[in-house]
Amino acid sequence: MFSVILYGRNDSHGYNLHKRAAISFNAIAEVMSDPDDEILFVDYNTPDDHPTFPEAIHDTLTEKAKKVLRIFRVRPEQHYHLKSKTHLVALEAQSRNIALRRSNSNNRWVLYTNTDMLLVPRREDESLSKILGDVPDGFYQIPRFELPEMLWEAAFDRRDPVGNLTKLRDWAVRFHLNQVVHNFMPMKYDALGDFQAALREDMFAIHGFDEDMLLGWHCDSNLAARLALYRGRVDTLIDKVFGYHCDHTRVAAANNKGRATRMNDQNRFIWDVSSPYLPEQADTWGWPGVEIEEIRLDRETSYERFTSGLAAALDPATEPYRSTSLDWHLYSDLSYDIRHTLPFVCDQVLTYPRSTAVMLVATRAEFVSRFAVAWQAMGFTGPILVPTECQRLDTSHPSIKTGAFSELVHMADLFVFEFGLATQNPDEAVRIGRPESPLDKKSLKAVAKLFAAAASEEAETRPNGRRLPRRFIGVNVIYNKFWPLFTDYIGANINPFCSQVLAGIPRQESSLKGKILKFRGRYGV
Amino acid sequence: MSGEGIVAQLLRTLREFRLRGGNSAIQDELAHNHRHGLFLRARALARSGAFDQAAPLFSQAVDMDPTFDEAWEGWGEALDALGERALALEKYEAARQLRAGLRPGAPDRHFVLRQRGHFTAEILAYDTVVRSLAKNTLPYLARGNAYLATGQAEKALADYERALRLKPGVPEITALKGEALAMLGRYSEALQAFDTALAARPNDAEILGGRAMVRIALGLIEEADADWRRQFGLLQGRPSACACVALRMADYGAALPQLEQALAKEPSDLYWLLYRLTAQRRLGQAVDATNIPVVDAWPGPLLALHAGRTSAAEALKLANTDSRRAEATFQLGILVSVQDHNAARSHWQEIVDRSGPSQIEYAAARHELARPQSSSAL
Repeated sequence: MFSVILYGRNDSHGYNLHKRAAISFNAIAEVMSDPDDEILFVDYNTPDDHPTFPEAIHDTLTEKAKKVLRIFRVRPEQHYHLKSKTHLVALEAQSRNIALRRSNSNNRWVLYTNTDMLLVPRREDESLSKILGDVPDGFYQIPRFELPEMLWEAAFDRRDPVGNLTKLRDWAVRFHLNQVVHNFMPMKYDALGDFQAALREDMFAIHGFDEDMLLGWHCDSNLAARLALYRGRVDTLIDKVFGYHCDHTRVAAANNKGRATRMNDQNRFIWDVSSPYLPEQADTWGWPGVEIEEIRLDRETSYERFTSGLAAALDPATEPYRSTSLDWHLYSDLSYDIRHTLPFVCDQVLTYPRSTAVMLVATRAEFVSRFAVAWQAMGFTGPILVPTECQRLDTSHPSIKTGAFSELVHMADLFVFEFGLATQNPDEAVRIGRPESPLDKKSLKAVAKLFAAAASEEAETRPNGRRLPRRFIGVNVIYNKFWPLFTDYIGANINPFCSQVLAGIPRQESSLKGKILKFRGRYGV
Repeated sequence: MSGEGIVAQLLRTLREFRLRGGNSAIQDELAHNHRHGLFLRARALARSGAFDQAAPLFSQAVDMDPTFDEAWEGWGEALDALGERALALEKYEAARQLRAGLRPGAPDRHFVLRQRGHFTAEILAYDTVVRSLAKNTLPYLARGNAYLATGQAEKALADYERALRLKPGVPEITALKGEALAMLGRYSEALQAFDTALAARPNDAEILGGRAMVRIALGLIEEADADWRRQFGLLQGRPSACACVALRMADYGAALPQLEQALAKEPSDLYWLLYRLTAQRRLGQAVDATNIPVVDAWPGPLLALHAGRTSAAEALKLANTDSRRAEATFQLGILVSVQDHNAARSHWQEIVDRSGPSQIEYAAARHELARPQSSSAL
């Protein structure tokens, strides 16, 4: 019957976002009763190495919410072409249009709201699906009622939407929450963006939200103006459903700078609107030709993929624990435990698109073979690019593609550099003072050289169309002699030794040291 | 009367005075004791919190015009605020049923001309906005649209012209000015407005449709067809709209497949069924009269005519508006066209003489009349 369209990213937009959003997702799912109903969340511009916002809070969502939730992930690279035109990191019009384009065509209605709303049917036995199914074609709004922060934060249980809706019905009366704020037409009520129900067919006819609105604010009013023109009237559902907004004014959201807030031009986008249609974006709204990843929380979850990958690549441990050491004299010992390290490496890559091409430059054959198995079992379809400059590696896995570094580097979306000892056996004890053999030295030298070249030439060697820097993952680069090399080139955080892994993008150093490093990397000095 | 009572009485009087004196539109309407006047007053009272006074006025407005959906809704809102939940729901439901029963205008026409309803609340709302935002176009445009959708073309034209004075040359507003002029029968001026709008928006299907309608009214059939053919191409994927365009050109071969699709999508819309019968008969195809449904509501009588269940006289008698009479007359022409082409032409001529160019039947009749006498099947 209806598709609810929401957007956001994995950040901290306003106060206690995670709780507000969980309450809202669960409450919206609770008032759905039609098998075609869906919640579409566009996760816009979350960094590639982070999970999407709903994935990050999945444990607080009900089974019903997980079942109806479809997540569309817009990658930073897909946002890049708009980056210079806006100060915002998440764009409402683009997000909502991306969802609309990909919404269930069986649904008659599209409902635009936000991840801090609870929709409460006035008849307890009526679902929102039933309500929308019964009303005639039109464009519907409801007034938004505010819910003090104390109430939702202190009294709501994220995973009890039924209880929360019951509490709301009680509080509405006891605390006089229901105040209708009328507004200038075509905005029938204040804060109209928290409930705008339009026919899906109408939204396609008027070409969705206006994607020129890049500065934040008033996207809802623009839509109201255009739909009010298109339909001739703005209808109300105040007799059927109340909408409550989890107030979050303790901390200003990123797009709220008080009087200094930058926003879309009200005259252009509201008061001088002259047509419901946007012919300039008729063929492009919602990015129809762009492949947008869809993620579900009720199937093939990240956790399932992660465990599948590791289960395929590793047998369970047979001992309660294994040891390593930070003793100073072991600083030059590059032995490490692949079986312990691999989960941390997989963790670094899991959130990337499945089509990612990863360049793997390694010393240890065991690392390559285990990683390849895990990569495939995690559902990645992109190739593992192994340069032929890395010798004595097993490259027989079907995911592995070999070639000259200079050729493969132009195909890679992501880099993994592993600094281990080529001669280390799987069952050797680690960090007990193992010396490097000539073969180890030779392998490490090759990896270090390729690493310096890849990092220093990263910007010049990106695949066609790619504009953002690629991420480098360093394996076995903590508290050993490769830590300085890796962090000279890569802006990585300080991580615990136990994880063995550092990651980041190439540093943009304008200092003399940076220039020298770049020169050395480029020319293999 | 206690001091508190006197103050309350004074406040009430002041509020009444403000409501009556502060809004000339309300005052004008009240002077005419019009149902819209009642609605406006009721609405103002409701906005000021006097739901108990507003409810009976909404009720009176509904008594005067039971199809006044906005008054039903306002009544519902007032009762809801007064805690009369069950009664309120009845009124809301009545408003929704009225709206659900309105068939939108032809899907190939400008979106404003597809809208149906009273739009009194919209006009009132935009009256207020215009007073606050006199230099912006949207309030004039929206109010003009409400006027146009309710057939008040003079007022619509005035609002569009104001909007164009603020933002000269906006093609969408110029096109609406063309629609208002066409509704007023000022076809030459309308044509000029559409030409201007189309110069800026050459691929706007709605503007093309508007110009085609004006062209056919001016007897420029070939030029009208050129616009409709382009419109037909631009509307691909919207079968009901395409069907209407093809029917206006009396191009039944093009209309029939679109009508089949429109019927599949909106099986309860009897017009698609009626027009499919029209196209089939005119194309000389066999018609299964036994499966034509029996429906009392319009255009049911025209379906009965096709099924042979009612007479021409009876169908015409049930056609209680000008547009329905044109629809009935057109179908009479279709039904007799095989046996007696002259009789058919006489029906179609009657439509051209008596109905307006915005009707599908008007344009179709003009095309039928323009065809050579010997051409009976198309």
